[in-house]
Amino acid sequence: MAERSFAKEVEDLRIGDGEIFHGEGILAVTKALLQSGVSYVGGYQGAPISHLMDVLSDAQGILSELDVHFETSASEAAAAAMLAASVNYPLRGAVTWKSTVGTNVASDALASVASSGVTGGCLVIIGEDYGEGSSIMQERSHPFAMKSQIWLLDPRPNLTSIVNAVETGFQLSEASNTPVMLELRIRACHVYGTFTAKDNVAPEFTLKDAMENPTREYSRVVLPPSNFVHEIEKVEKRWPAAVKFIKENKLNELFGPESGEVGLIVQGGLYNTLMRALELLGLADKFGNPDVPVYCMNVTYPLIDDELVDYCRDKKSVLMIEEGQPEYIEQQLNQIINAAELNTKIVGKDIFPKAGEYQGQVVRKSLKKFFSQYAPELLKNTAEEKPPAITAEEKQLMAASVPGRPAGFCTGCPERPVFSAMKQIEQEIGKYHVSCDIGCHLFSILPPFDIGNTTMGYGLGWAGSSALQQSESSQRTVSIMGDGGFWHNGLTSGVGSAVFNKNDNVLIVVDNGYSAATGGQDILSSRAQNKTRSTNNPISSAVKGLGAEWVKEVQTYDLKDMKATLKDAMTTKIKGPKIIVAQSECMLNRQRREKPIRNKAIKDGKRIVRSRFGVDSDTCTGDHSCIRISGCPSLTIMDNPDPLRDDPVAHVNNDCVGCGVCGENAHSAVLCPSFYQADLLYNPNWWDRFATKVRGAVIGMLQRRRDRKRAQVSFEL
Amino acid sequence: MNSNEPIKIAINALGGQGGGVLTTWLVELGKRTGYIVQSTSVPGVAQRTGATVYYVEYFPEQLAQQAKQQPVMALMPTPGDVDVVLCSEIIEAGRAIDRGFVSDKTTLISSTHRDYAIGEKIGMGDDRVNTDIIYQAAEKCAGRFVTADFSRCVEQSGSIISSVIFGALAGSGAMPIQREDFEAIIVEGKRAVETNLRGFDAGYTAVQAPQQEVVEEAPAVFVLPEKAAKAVQPLLERLRDMPAQVHEIGFLGLKKVVDHHDPRYGDLFLDRLSKVIASDSAANEFKLSNTVAKHLSLWMAYEDTIRVADLKTRGTRFERFRKDVRADDQQIVEVSEYLHPRVEEICDMLPAGLADKLLASKTARKMIAGIFSKGRKVKTTRLPGFLMMYCLSGLKFMRRSSYKYREENQRIENWLGLIDTHHAQDYALAVEIAALQRLIKGYGDTHARGLKNFTSIVDAIPSLAQQVNAAAGMNALQQAALKTEDGSALESALSQISDSGSAAA
Repeated sequence: MAERSFAKEVEDLRIGDGEIFHGEGILAVTKALLQSGVSYVGGYQGAPISHLMDVLSDAQGILSELDVHFETSASEAAAAAMLAASVNYPLRGAVTWKSTVGTNVASDALASVASSGVTGGCLVIIGEDYGEGSSIMQERSHPFAMKSQIWLLDPRPNLTSIVNAVETGFQLSEASNTPVMLELRIRACHVYGTFTAKDNVAPEFTLKDAMENPTREYSRVVLPPSNFVHEIEKVEKRWPAAVKFIKENKLNELFGPESGEVGLIVQGGLYNTLMRALELLGLADKFGNPDVPVYCMNVTYPLIDDELVDYCRDKKSVLMIEEGQPEYIEQQLNQIINAAELNTKIVGKDIFPKAGEYQGQVVRKSLKKFFSQYAPELLKNTAEEKPPAITAEEKQLMAASVPGRPAGFCTGCPERPVFSAMKQIEQEIGKYHVSCDIGCHLFSILPPFDIGNTTMGYGLGWAGSSALQQSESSQRTVSIMGDGGFWHNGLTSGVGSAVFNKNDNVLIVVDNGYSAATGGQDILSSRAQNKTRSTNNPISSAVKGLGAEWVKEVQTYDLKDMKATLKDAMTTKIKGPKIIVAQSECMLNRQRREKPIRNKAIKDGKRIVRSRFGVDSDTCTGDHSCIRISGCPSLTIMDNPDPLRDDPVAHVNNDCVGCGVCGENAHSAVLCPSFYQADLLYNPNWWDRFATKVRGAVIGMLQRRRDRKRAQVSFEL
Repeated sequence: MNSNEPIKIAINALGGQGGGVLTTWLVELGKRTGYIVQSTSVPGVAQRTGATVYYVEYFPEQLAQQAKQQPVMALMPTPGDVDVVLCSEIIEAGRAIDRGFVSDKTTLISSTHRDYAIGEKIGMGDDRVNTDIIYQAAEKCAGRFVTADFSRCVEQSGSIISSVIFGALAGSGAMPIQREDFEAIIVEGKRAVETNLRGFDAGYTAVQAPQQEVVEEAPAVFVLPEKAAKAVQPLLERLRDMPAQVHEIGFLGLKKVVDHHDPRYGDLFLDRLSKVIASDSAANEFKLSNTVAKHLSLWMAYEDTIRVADLKTRGTRFERFRKDVRADDQQIVEVSEYLHPRVEEICDMLPAGLADKLLASKTARKMIAGIFSKGRKVKTTRLPGFLMMYCLSGLKFMRRSSYKYREENQRIENWLGLIDTHHAQDYALAVEIAALQRLIKGYGDTHARGLKNFTSIVDAIPSLAQQVNAAAGMNALQQAALKTEDGSALESALSQISDSGSAAA
C-alpha cells in the first residue's frame, strides 16, 4: 500500500466531457492518458511522478474497464522496453519515471525504440527532479532527447496546457513515428488547478487484438542493415514530419505584441515564472499578456528553425530563458540565427546564472539586467525596488541563527538501528569503507550518523565498492542497499556480481517491506498481501538462489543481534560475500496501518498496551550521546530543569511511537540510566486494577516514608 | 487587504508535520470564498523531516470574469511578493526572511516554539541557536509580525499544528475571509472535525491575545528563607553569614548536596566554599565564589548507583513520568528502566579498599562483569523492581567509605587546590578552571571521556598560564572539548598551546 491513497481522487478520473477536473498536475496527466485512448501504462516510481504510479495503482478498476494494462515495472529500463509494443502495433502507450536518474537507466531501451520507430503513439512522462527539493544530481533530460532524436515537450505549467500536451504528444508521436518525452518540473507535477475534461476513450485496437494477430516487420528491428536505414529515416522522414506537425498545430505559442526591438524566448515550463517577473517589473498584466513579444517553446526539441528566424528577424536582441546547463537551446538558437544571417543578438547565460533553478527572483533580476542593457526605455515605469529592511550584514548574522534541516529518518524508523549498530561497531573494530545506495537509508550520510563514502545510483551500492577487494586487507567494506534498489538491479549488479567475482565483503540489505523513499509502494518482497501483485518473495531466497552462502536475516530493532551479526560478518574467517538482510517494517507505513486499528480497539473497550519512551530529566546530564547515535525526531532536547546546570537535557516528545531503539542504544552503548519505557494501559481488566492498587499501596507507603525522612533535612518548610 | 486582490501565501514548514493538510484546507477555503486557487509543494525527500515550502495563490474569480481571461499564477513565492507567510516554528520564520519572502506587505505568522534541528541536538554541550536575532529581523522586515506558541495550542487542544495555524491565520485577520468560512472547511473535511476545530480555536484565540511586550524585568533580589528543617537550620545560618552575593547559588548548591547525601555533606560543601570566599572580594562581585559554588555542588552531587536508585524511586518522579508520557488521570502506567551497570559502577559503591583490590584483579573483574554487567530492564512500578531500587537507594550509609566517594572527593580537592593556586595571580583564569567542571558529566564512557578531557586541559594549565589571555584560552579549550566526541578538536587546540609554549620557551 502506498504512502498516499488516491482512492477518492481516482473517482474523478471517470468524469466526462465538459466537466471540470480539480486536482494535481500528475492526476491531470492520468486523466489525459485515459482521454487519449492509451492501451498500456508502465513506469518506475520516484519523486515527482510517484503519485502517477500510485494513482494508476489505485485506479485499476477503471483501467480494466478501459482495457488498459498497468505494469509496475522493475526499473525504468523495463518501463522503456514496454514501448516495444507500439513498434509493430497501433497501440498508444505511456511510461513514466523520475529524471534524469530514470532516463539514465532507461536510455538503452529508449535508444532502441527511437531507432525502430513507433506505429502507435508513445509518451514518456518524465518528472524533472531539478532545483529546490531535488535529491539527485543536477542534470538535464534535454540531451537524451537530442541523442536519440526523441521529441521533448515542456508545456506551460497549468493543467489545461499539460493535458493538451499529453493529447498532442500522442498525435505528434504517431505523425512522426517517434516516441515523445513530456517533461514536467517538480512543482508542475504537484500544482493544484483545474481543466475541462473530456470523455475517457477505450482503445480501438486492443492488446488482445495485437496478441491474437501478431505482425512482424524485419525493417523495424535494430539490427543491420535496418539500423542504418533507421538513422537515415530519422533525419529524412521523421524529423521533417515532426517539424511540420508542430508548426501546423502551433504547439509553440506567441504572446504579447507582434513586434518589438527586443524579445524573450522561454521554455514552456518557465512561462509562469517569467510572467510573474514581468508583472513585477510592470511589463505584463496578471493574465499573461506581456508588453514584450514572447515566444514560448512548449516543444524544446526539435527547434522550429523558421518560427525562430521569423520571430527574431525584426529584433535587435532576444533573451533566451533556458534553465539548466549546458545551454543546448541557446547554442542551437545561435546556430540558427547565424545560418539565417540575421543580426539579432542572442543573450542568455551571459546574463542569467549558468547553473541553478530559475526561481522568480532570479528571473526578475536577470530580466531587469537584460532590459537595462538592451531596451532601457521599457523599464521607465518599473517601480524602484525597496531597499531591504535589514542590512546585508544583519541578514547574514540572522542566517547564521538558522540551522539547516537536512532530511532524516522518520520517528521510529527501523533503519536507524542499522546505522546505530554500524556506528557502534566502528568504535570496536575501527573505521571501514561504506558504499551507500539510493533510498531513505542514504540519510545515514547526514548527521548524526555521518556514515557513507559514495552513492553511485539506485541498486548500485555493492557495485560501488566492487573495486575495493584485496585479500591482504585487514578490514572489509560494508555496502548498503535498500529492498527497492535490490529488486531494481542490485540483485544482479551487486549480489550476482559479488558471488561470481568471489567478493569477500559485506552487504546490508535494508528490507523494510516497501519502496519506502518513493512513497511506500509494494515490491516483490513486501509482506503485505496485494490483490493485484505477487508479494512475499523473500530477499534471502533470491540471494541464495544466486549462490550466496553467508546470508543472515536480522530484525533491526534487535540492536544486540544486529551488532553481533555485523561484527561477525566483518571478522569471520569465512571467505566469500556476506549478506545481512536487515528486516523491520517501515514505521511510516506501519503506523498508518496500525494506528487506526489500535484507536478503534481502545474505543471498543479492548485491553491495549501502548509503549513509549521517556528520559528522566534529573538523571540526564545533557551530553546527548543518545542523540548522536540515534537522530530520532522525537528524541530531542529541552531546558535543563536544574538551575545549576547549563546544558539542555534529552527529552522524548509525544511523537514517540515506542520503537525502543533509544532504550536498546542506552543498553548496547552503555550510555546512562535515564531512559525508561512507559507502558500505557487502556481498558484494564479487574486483575490489572487490583494488582495496581496493591503495588501502589506498598510503593506509596515506602515513598511517603522517604518523603518524611527528606522533610527532616529540607530547606523548604 | 480587500477581497478584490490576489493573495499569495507561503507555508514554511517541516516535512511530515501536516503542511499538506493545511495546503488542502487553504485550497478549499479559496474555492469557497470566490477565488481561483493554485497550490504547489515539493514532496520527496525534503518531506522526510526536512524544511519545505508549500505555496498557495488566490485570484479573485470576479477579476477573471471581468477580464474574460484566466490568471497566470506562479509556482513558487517571489521575494517581495508574498502576502502571508505561515511558519510552524520560529527558525522557519528566520528561513523565510533569509529567502526574502518577508517584506513590508507580508503578514508573518509564526509559532514561537522551538523544534530543535539535528545540529543543535547533537552537541555535547548547548548548541542551540539564539533566536533573538530572528525576532528582531522579523519585526523589521514584516509588515505585521504575529506570534503565538502553536505547540502549546496543540498541547492544550489535543489537536494537530495544521489546525492551529489555520486558526491563527483566521485570527490574524490577514485574509478578507470570515471565521465561519474557515471553520466550514474543517467541518466539510469530515476528518477529526471536533479536535481540528478545537485546535483552530486555540490558534485563533492565541494570536488575538495581546502580543507580549518584551519587558526588561529587574531580576528579583534573592532572599534566603528564614527557616529550614531543624537538622539543616545551622547550615542555613552558616550560609546567611556569607556575603549576600553568593546566597542564591550557594543555597541551590547546598540544597543539592544535602539532598544527595546528608547535612554533614552540606557542611563540607560550605567549608570548601568559605575558603574560596575568604580570598574573593566584592570588587569581583564574588564571581569566582559563585562559579565554584555552582560547580562544586554539581561535582559533590556526583552520579552513582545510589543516587540513580534514589531519584528513580521518588514519588515526585512517579508523578513526573505520568505527566511526561501524557497518561490520563486514572490510567495505569508501567515503567521499565534501562539499566546497564558495568564493573566500575558496581565497585563505585563498595568500600574503597575492597574496590581497589577487585579492580586490580582481572579474575574478580571478570566475575563481577559476568554477574552484573549486562543490560537490564527493571520495572520500577512493580514490587520486585521497586524494592530492589529502593534498597539500593538505602545504601547511602555506605557511601562515605565507598570507592567513588574517595575518588571524586580527591579530584575535587585537587581541583580546588588548582583554583587556589591561580586565584591570586589570574582571577579570570581561576574562574575558568572552576567552570571546567562542566566537562565532567554523565555515566560510563561519557563520564570517562569528560574526565579525560578535563585532565588533559588541567595538564595544559602551566603552559597556558604563561600566555597573555589565559582565561580566554582556557574557555576555548573547554569549547573545543565539547566540539567533537572523539576529542580531535581538543587535541588540535592543545597541540597549538604546546607549540606556542615551546616557541615561547
